[in-house]
Amino acid sequence: MKTHTGIYILKKAGQLALTIFVLSILVFLVSRLAPGDPLRAYYGEGVEKMSVEQLDHARERLGLNDSLVTQYIRWAGNALHGDFGISYIYKQPAAQVVADVYQNTVRLAGVSFLLIFVLGLLLAIFCVRHEGKAVDRLICKVGVAANSIPEFFVALILILLFSVTLGILPQSGAHSLGGGETLRHLVLPVGAIVISHLWYCAYLMRNKLSDEVRKEYILLCRVKGLTQRRIIYRHCLKNIMPAVISIMAIFLPHLLGGAYVVEMVFSYPGLGELGVESAQYHDYNMLMLISLITGAAVVLANMIAQVINEKLDPRIKYEEIREERP
Amino acid sequence: MNKKLPYLSITILAIITGGCLLAGVLSGQDPYYMNTDAVSQAPSAVHLFGTDTLGRDIFAIIWHGGRLSLMIGLTATLISTAIAIVYGCLSGLAGPRIDDLMMRFTEILMSIPQILLVIFLQAIWGEPTVFSIGIVLGITSWMAVAKMVRSEVRQMREAEYVLAARSMGAGFFYILWNHLMPNFMSAIMFMIVTNLGSAIATEATLSFLGLGLPTGVVSWGSLMSLSQKAMLTGAWWLLIIPGAFLVITLICITEIGEYLRTTGRRDRLI
Repeated sequence: MKTHTGIYILKKAGQLALTIFVLSILVFLVSRLAPGDPLRAYYGEGVEKMSVEQLDHARERLGLNDSLVTQYIRWAGNALHGDFGISYIYKQPAAQVVADVYQNTVRLAGVSFLLIFVLGLLLAIFCVRHEGKAVDRLICKVGVAANSIPEFFVALILILLFSVTLGILPQSGAHSLGGGETLRHLVLPVGAIVISHLWYCAYLMRNKLSDEVRKEYILLCRVKGLTQRRIIYRHCLKNIMPAVISIMAIFLPHLLGGAYVVEMVFSYPGLGELGVESAQYHDYNMLMLISLITGAAVVLANMIAQVINEKLDPRIKYEEIREERP
Repeated sequence: MNKKLPYLSITILAIITGGCLLAGVLSGQDPYYMNTDAVSQAPSAVHLFGTDTLGRDIFAIIWHGGRLSLMIGLTATLISTAIAIVYGCLSGLAGPRIDDLMMRFTEILMSIPQILLVIFLQAIWGEPTVFSIGIVLGITSWMAVAKMVRSEVRQMREAEYVLAARSMGAGFFYILWNHLMPNFMSAIMFMIVTNLGSAIATEATLSFLGLGLPTGVVSWGSLMSLSQKAMLTGAWWLLIIPGAFLVITLICITEIGEYLRTTGRRDRLI
């Protein structure tokens, strides 16, 4: 039994490492697609003032004359030591800059994720209990509409309502000067994310639950005299849990993308704001690091979801939920 | 489920599309003309939707901007659909090893949020234009459709008509075009329509963030990127009017996609 678990963990870790390896190759190649010169990414406008010998020297020093494979190996080797190069905007190691702000993003995305998970499930249960009735149809209509509005617009409307007109909530930043009031600064960004993404999850969960209550064992429960509430909470929820976990794993990249945009609108210091800024100033090292971190987080979350599901229901070999946007 | 055609959404979308195509005729005002005497004016009889901080007439801008937004959306959807169909079919027809590898690859791509990929690629591309944004949006949004195509193709790869065509020496694209596509198009149609909506939304987001079309070139998104500052001065129309156009367009597209999804499913059951 012990060795069995060991092999299992090793296998999962191997898969994870392989996926992240491919991800890193991808990110590396994309960054090398850049027209012009990676030199520009290091020296900025200074490149134009350099002489031919200086350019050659710099190129040699940065190893740009080597083959792509050698370059990748060196880059990956450094990355394994936590060295992702210098951020051209901040003039300090990219990893350091990210380390300073990543907690903000984790807080924003984490709170939104939990809220969407709980609210989505509750909404799904409510809809299924009233399936086909006017209230269910209304929620579906509103949900579809809310889901098709871009995050940034939702965020702007919230700012217009709560910051500009009512003046009760701050419209930018992660905390007040000198820290503090973190929670108040979180309300609007989280609100924007939840509004624009809640239905994505709620809809998928609703469909899953709606299929579940049509199964035969429900009839048996009914015959036994169980109430609808008890059937849903005690039986159906347990059965759809693996599907719900898969849904939340699939949802993560959407959530992170949404959080990055919302961060920008609220000037909320985090990975998203950093990413957009890096794009504006062509800070490729930073962009590579942010893409890599995000991708790795999603891959890891998927892996965790897979492990939980296999524990919950050994029959599952991670059956896939189709990505169907509501 | 027997769902009615979403007439309302189709009509509204047709009006907006028509308005955008006829942009020049409709408004009669040059969208790029900056009237310095009429800066940040609220909606009135002269300027139906008001003017922006540069004195441009928003009514004129909306239609011109919409044309670009729709064009970008269509370009992106065309590209992503083409990639998805070819990739999905290749994966669906390939042996289990290759198929598995190809699907793994799409999953890895899907693990990075689309907006981040778009920002990354666009930064590398350099100066954004209508076509560069269209292409970048296209090559970052084909994965979900490709997975769907692949699972559809896997179901019909053993069908007699495919085998017959193969045994007579038909090429990949011949089979794809004549035998596979007619069968799975109805199933993926709703995703294509949804992709159109999200491409338009992403373009707006990109332009809003200042990474898309420059503010000099008007689209719905770039118009709204001015609005954040304007909002503080109380110029709500700068935000609400382009936003309303964007949101209404997106909701109509989603409604049509919803309709196609339910009918697409029905077709498959028969």
